[in-house]
Amino acid sequence: MSNEIRDDLKYTDSHEWIKINDSIATIGITDHAQSELTDIVFAELPEIGKLVKKGDELCVVESVKSVSEIYSPLSGKIVKINEKLEDAPEIINGQPYDDGWLVEIEIEKKDEIDALISGSEYQKLI
Amino acid sequence: MLNYPFLISHDGEIHMSTQSPLHKNHAELKAKFTEFAGFNMPLQFSSIKDEHLQVRKSVGLFDVSHMSNVWITGKDAEKLLTLTTIEDASKIVKNKSQYTAILRDDGTIIDDTIFMHLDDRFMIIPNAGMDEIVTDWLNKKAKEHNLSVKVENVSKDYVILAVQGPKSKELLQKMTDVDLSTIGFFGCKEIVLADQKCIISYTGYTGELGFELQITPVEKAVPLFNKILGIGKEFKIKPIGLGARDTLRLEKCFLLAGNEFEGGRTPLEAVMSWAINWDHEFIGKESLLKQKEEGSYQRLTCLECNEKGIPRHGNEVKKDGKIVGMISSGTISPCLNKGIALAYVDPDERKIGSELDIVIRGKNIKSTIVKSPFVKKDWISTQ
Repeated sequence: MSNEIRDDLKYTDSHEWIKINDSIATIGITDHAQSELTDIVFAELPEIGKLVKKGDELCVVESVKSVSEIYSPLSGKIVKINEKLEDAPEIINGQPYDDGWLVEIEIEKKDEIDALISGSEYQKLI
Repeated sequence: MLNYPFLISHDGEIHMSTQSPLHKNHAELKAKFTEFAGFNMPLQFSSIKDEHLQVRKSVGLFDVSHMSNVWITGKDAEKLLTLTTIEDASKIVKNKSQYTAILRDDGTIIDDTIFMHLDDRFMIIPNAGMDEIVTDWLNKKAKEHNLSVKVENVSKDYVILAVQGPKSKELLQKMTDVDLSTIGFFGCKEIVLADQKCIISYTGYTGELGFELQITPVEKAVPLFNKILGIGKEFKIKPIGLGARDTLRLEKCFLLAGNEFEGGRTPLEAVMSWAINWDHEFIGKESLLKQKEEGSYQRLTCLECNEKGIPRHGNEVKKDGKIVGMISSGTISPCLNKGIALAYVDPDERKIGSELDIVIRGKNIKSTIVKSPFVKKDWISTQ
């Protein structure tokens, strides 16, 4: 069981992490989430340019026995997807906070960032 | 002893969940648990993929105590099995077992099972959670036909272990004086294994060389479980969870009762014709003969994905936009690294080599109809 939490990231109670860089948010799933899912074998990512609202289904991550929807923690436009995951979805298991990122969003509503939780708050949930 | 902890699920209802007598061992081995047919069993220990490949390449140990045990004894035991299954039990000699199915009058499958012919009695192994239904059905039929037979549900008295993989025989041979070569495919016998009496059968659910052990009383299974893991070290043995059990069986196109028989399917639909012995009278036979003559029924079909995507139970199967079938079981194959599925498909759309679409989250994923099984016997030699 691994449960690494990084202090420079924001989190959601549904186990996504968010890295804010000006108007761009990089989104992935936490170390705890990948460890619970184990053996990620497929990641279905959205199309670039798609508009999502906070709480919309962003992508789907599948392990051998489970299908997990990942919800968008913020509203905005998908500007980049992690294409490496198409052939090597297991990167999410190995490097959930680095090469295992899922998508980048151009943030539409900056005030939504306030609703995200800190690393120490997320720690209490897991 | 079996425990019956009360579990409160997300819907707020109280459910009973049965733990295996080996639950503590599994917890110590860091298992992740899952609920299956009322049982709390290991889903995986390390990783489903690793456990899967371990069984294909060497040997793995499964606790399958969720499966049921029913003794059928008395002078008409054989007659009852012949009446209630698609096999003529008189053809199955002592120390042999048989894969078969128990049908309703309309020909649909109540359960698929193995029966073992041991001395003058038979043991059947119904699926998880099916013990009472099968026992009641057999008792009812015995009464209706005035048969002198005792049907006894002993599921709670037995632990079932499965030792599966190319090295399984070599491993178990180190634990017994009985020459395991004398137990042929589907053979069964009472033997002593590491000082513990058990019923051993050359059977399994992985498509590999393998054995299943019925152990009573259940406490005796704990030292045996540990001993097999200990002696198995030289083969790098691993405990295997239900996750890999499912992927292993699906690669070999073995049926899973809850999935493949859902909604009532006949052995003709489930492509079990090979297991039907037509030369005897059995419950459901008339309905099967009628269905066979009519011919226009869906049949289980093997689909291999040509695009990325993992088919799952309940996905629709389409041809030129028209629904022609439904996935009963789907997964990613750890050996082939692509999506594979069993689907009930309309009779005219089942040609080997033809393409069908599997609808996954609204997207059409291309697949090809292939011959069973997905992973052939010589797969390991191609690695």
